[in-house]
Amino acid sequence: MVLQAVGLAHSFGERRALAGLDLTIQPGVLTGLLGPNGAGKTTLMRAMLGVIQPDAGHILLDGRPVTFADRQRWGYMPQERGLYPRMPAAEQLAYMARLHGLDRRSAQRRARALLDELGLADRWSERTEKLSGGMQQRLQLGAALVHDPDVIVLDEPFAGLDPVAVAELSVALRERVGAGRTVVFSSHQLDLVQDLCEDIVMIDHGRTVLAGRVDRLRSSTGRRHLRLGVAPGAPRDWLTAFPEVHVVDDQVDALRLDLPAEVDPLAVLDAARAAGPVTDFGLDLPTLSQLFLGALGQDSSDASGAPDGGLDGSAA
Amino acid sequence: MNTTHWSGVRLVAGRTITEGLASRSWRIMTALMLLAGLAVVVVPRLVGDDATSYTLARVGDAPDALLSQLQATATAGEFELTVVAVPDVEAARAAVRDGDADAALTDEGPSGRLYVAAQQVGTFPVLVSQAVVSLTLTERLVAAGLSPDEVEAIRATPPPEQVPVGRVADEGRAGVGFAVGIVLYLALILAGTTVASAVATEKSTRISEVLLAVLRPRQLLVGTVLGVGALALGQIAALVVPAMVGVVTSDALDLPAAAATDVLLGVVWFAAGLLLYAFVFAALGALVDKPTDVGSATLPANAVLIGSYLLAVTVTVANPNSWASVAASLFPLSAPLVMPVRWASGLVPGWQLALALVLTVAASVWLARFAAQIYARGLARSGRRVSLREVLPGWTDRS
Ligand SMILES: Nc1ncnc2c1ncn2[C@@H]1O[C@H](COP(=O)(O)OP(=O)(O)OP(=O)(O)O)[C@@H](O)[C@H]1O
Ligand SMILES: [Mg+2]
Repeated sequence: MVLQAVGLAHSFGERRALAGLDLTIQPGVLTGLLGPNGAGKTTLMRAMLGVIQPDAGHILLDGRPVTFADRQRWGYMPQERGLYPRMPAAEQLAYMARLHGLDRRSAQRRARALLDELGLADRWSERTEKLSGGMQQRLQLGAALVHDPDVIVLDEPFAGLDPVAVAELSVALRERVGAGRTVVFSSHQLDLVQDLCEDIVMIDHGRTVLAGRVDRLRSSTGRRHLRLGVAPGAPRDWLTAFPEVHVVDDQVDALRLDLPAEVDPLAVLDAARAAGPVTDFGLDLPTLSQLFLGALGQDSSDASGAPDGGLDGSAA
Repeated sequence: MNTTHWSGVRLVAGRTITEGLASRSWRIMTALMLLAGLAVVVVPRLVGDDATSYTLARVGDAPDALLSQLQATATAGEFELTVVAVPDVEAARAAVRDGDADAALTDEGPSGRLYVAAQQVGTFPVLVSQAVVSLTLTERLVAAGLSPDEVEAIRATPPPEQVPVGRVADEGRAGVGFAVGIVLYLALILAGTTVASAVATEKSTRISEVLLAVLRPRQLLVGTVLGVGALALGQIAALVVPAMVGVVTSDALDLPAAAATDVLLGVVWFAAGLLLYAFVFAALGALVDKPTDVGSATLPANAVLIGSYLLAVTVTVANPNSWASVAASLFPLSAPLVMPVRWASGLVPGWQLALALVLTVAASVWLARFAAQIYARGLARSGRRVSLREVLPGWTDRS
């Protein structure tokens, strides 16, 4: 099912959280939602799920306005986790499944199956408050997936997970996407999003600033990064011949250069070799974090060294 | 609404009840209520009720006619009479002074003497005197030449009918009304606070965020209110049922039959009051950010409850039919506390009771809709204390 937001606007008092936001999320494609802190990601998701009523705009499902019954078939994992602390893990999932319309027996069956999948099978009767933070997070994810939803909306599902859990969750999401579900999640781990997602939507100040296929977005700028391994302490003065080239990263024995479309990488490489030995080299497309910073109106070449806006994983 | 609406409400209510039953505080409260209910039955028996049996000490021969007359009075007045013979006046005085007898009758003087305790209260001495006077009167009438039939006709003269006016028709029943008032007040405060904390806890633990993605706010609200309401009714039942069973199956408590209806009516009013107030408390609970703020957030509702209760136990008990009492017993917010107290005075026309119930239920329905909107808006604004102003329906906070 195609999930769409059209002209979504919402304010909290004086503060505009969403300012006429449009986006489209395709089924069968994993979509990452990016944006700096306060961009409006959480507000967008809450509006999509009907937790808050937006001041203006619509949520469409396959082109028609979404109904309450449609949302019965959705799954949502909020950024601020919410579970009944004293409820046993399996009961928690079964309760959520029943709220989504499953009968008692299938709710219990699904709850057990999902606990298995989430690696919590041995904790099914344990009170939620006795689980570790990461386990509770997995349980929260389970609450969003237990009824096998058509549309899955996850707000920062990867935050706080260990690398093994990250890999497991990635597999779980890819499985759902492979089964044709509509899946969108928000994250600040841009490397992860770059590896995992086909599509991204980037928002800032309540508006969509960048959206589309990750690979196309990366190649569409025409910019590339030239990676050079040089002798320690080699001179850098040859760079003055290329005023359009920006130094992204400068270490004792390595250089990372940002090349606009019109600069020939081979010419830069030749100049470097003329100045001294080059031990290693490579040409990369700009990373998602550079696109991210670029889309936020900052020059990607001079902001990449010190990422701000609370990004993690932005170092190239 | 469709079936999914009610199945959602049922699930929420069921979960609320399950959690409540498992919680220690509910169990303790219910056990206390049960103990209180049993105490109402057991304690009066332990203390003993001396008002239901009297002992009359007697010097010399009292005529059989006097004894049978007193015995008849005892049967009619539902008390037991024991007559003991004492040798002389001195012994009679001692028996009364030491509490062995409630009164002592001697044949001193022309018409005998009745010794009573200095602080004697109650009607027993009056009854004995009346019996003596009545008997003497009969003897004199016969002596004056009247036939036994004529004497009987004279004695059958009916006393003037007693009509209670003013304060209350029945003191015992008014006492029941007073008790019902206290229990109602405490139960409503307790249930209201429970609803508000349940809502505030769900909000602060962000569970409401997950729930609102699958439930309508009204389903969540109604389900929580019904769940907490059922738990509260269970507690009230723990208090009332043993007490009622005790009162009905024994006559240890000397209560008029109407008192039983008054108590049942109290339960009905509790349900109505709960319905009315629970929604208000839930809406107020949705405004807080931390469960510890529930007390201050629910202050307005508590104030109205306290005000109504004070009105009931002062103005209404003192004068059940003053215009203030009538008005307060009909006005929906105060009716659940004032009407049961007023009703127990026995002076309330049935139509006023019906009107008060209808008004209260109608007000609950209206208030529930209003509260549902405040509740939904309150839940959506997490992270800080929400002011009532910004969530009032029809109020735009961008001004
Ligand atoms: N409950 C609320 N009350 C008032 N303002 C809010 C509330 N929720 C969000 N906002 C404001 O709306 C804006 C968008 O917030 P939102 O939580 O949607 O951002 P986000 O993109 O999810 O940020 P983050 O990456 O930090 O999670 C922010 O300016 C925030 O201050
Ligand atoms: Mg967020």
